[in-house]
Amino acid sequence: MATNVSSVYIQVVDDVISKVRDDFINYGAGETALNELQAIWEMKMMQSGAISGTIDRSSTQKNAAPITPVHDLNVPYEAPVEEYETPTAEMLFPPTPLQTPIQTPLPGLDSGMYNIPTGPSDYAPSPITDLRNSMDLKGGRPSPYTQPLSPWINQRPPLGVDVNVAYVEGREEADRGPPHQATTQDFFVNSSGKRKRNDYGHGNSGGYIPQQDGSGDMTIEFSLPQNVVNQVQKSSSIRHDQGTATSKMLFNKEGKPAPVLHQLDGTHDEYDDLFQLQGVATENYNTPGEHVELRAPTPAVGTPKPGKDEAGEDDEPPLNEDDDDDDDELDDDQEEEEPNTQHLVLALFDKVTRTKSRWKCTLKNGIMHLNNRDILFNKATGEFDF
Amino acid sequence: MATFELYRRSAIGMCLTESLDEMVSSGTLSPELAIQVLMQFDKSMTDALETQVKSKVTIKGHLHTYRFCDNVWTFILQDATFKSDECHEQVKRVKIVACDSNLLTQ
Repeated sequence: MATNVSSVYIQVVDDVISKVRDDFINYGAGETALNELQAIWEMKMMQSGAISGTIDRSSTQKNAAPITPVHDLNVPYEAPVEEYETPTAEMLFPPTPLQTPIQTPLPGLDSGMYNIPTGPSDYAPSPITDLRNSMDLKGGRPSPYTQPLSPWINQRPPLGVDVNVAYVEGREEADRGPPHQATTQDFFVNSSGKRKRNDYGHGNSGGYIPQQDGSGDMTIEFSLPQNVVNQVQKSSSIRHDQGTATSKMLFNKEGKPAPVLHQLDGTHDEYDDLFQLQGVATENYNTPGEHVELRAPTPAVGTPKPGKDEAGEDDEPPLNEDDDDDDDELDDDQEEEEPNTQHLVLALFDKVTRTKSRWKCTLKNGIMHLNNRDILFNKATGEFDF
Repeated sequence: MATFELYRRSAIGMCLTESLDEMVSSGTLSPELAIQVLMQFDKSMTDALETQVKSKVTIKGHLHTYRFCDNVWTFILQDATFKSDECHEQVKRVKIVACDSNLLTQ
């Protein structure tokens, strides 16, 4: 059949409009509202691609005829202006109606014979998916961790902990029992790297060396109490003067490892700390010499792993981010396969039979929406394998 | 005569529903009148499909889900093929909703 889908749709539109015209007039809504409805309806259909751009009204001039003379009598531009202006103005509202119709705001619609067991989700895949997307995007994974870290960091600079990383390292281990601090430190470093620099800049007393590469200096030491003891002894001997001061500062620092460690590059803080002896060069902002000295004793520690493990676990917090990712992927996959709306066939059935796992059905008078295209049929036969 | 609200889910039906919604929201139209329009749409659409369309389609595919509730069959097919004189479409997933044609004649 050469019956174009668009022409069928246009005939339906005209048929509906003509049949409700009396209702509009009797109800008092008027022909203006009716024309407005027709204009909006056709515009939406053109936008969605249901009908082609050119509306062929040759077969349905009867409806248009009475209207045109009216326009001729009046100012010719008034009518089209009204028709086009109001729709455009009302086009501002579409976002809301997109969702409302799904909920069947008009009473009595649900009382129809046609129940949709599949649920309301079919009506508006787009808004639902939009909601999903927006909600998923708000997962906000890394951000929440940065804020709590800031207060700690701010407190550190006044301490002038720069005194010596070695000292700090040794002290920290002795003072800190729980590894939690170490792990938290990692977070601090990563998130507040920039702040640390600034803070250091203020409190730079020469000994302050903003560490750009590894923040795990302190953490590593925590995990190795034995080595730390040795180191502490060493460091204390090296920094006799600063010993007491540093010790105090170290205590304070326990809770504020952040200022010491500016980690810009990676999550393997502990590695950086261990290898700091040579890694000092990476610190561009401070005199590497001092750092080297400070770090000298630390390299002896060769067992950062336990600390690392703990830190590693913290680095991978149970945010359950993957859960949402999977859901998103599934949704996206479905959306990719079904652009705009999912492929849908609406029809009447004459017979549905099944033999073992082979299903057969005969359908009538259906509208198919496949691959973003509308197809109408009078009869259809289906054979499915379950 | 009862109507099948089935076709309101089609593209043309959704456009009409949205248009009516806009007008009811703006107060141009009363809800009762909008319902009347939709019911008339159901009838007109059914008549048009009955009289103006004369095409036959064959459907083949793997049945993933079937449901029969309230005299409505819902099938979900996977890797389905739709053939007719005019078209040859293949889709990975399609939903078929079918109401009982016998109920219309009652």
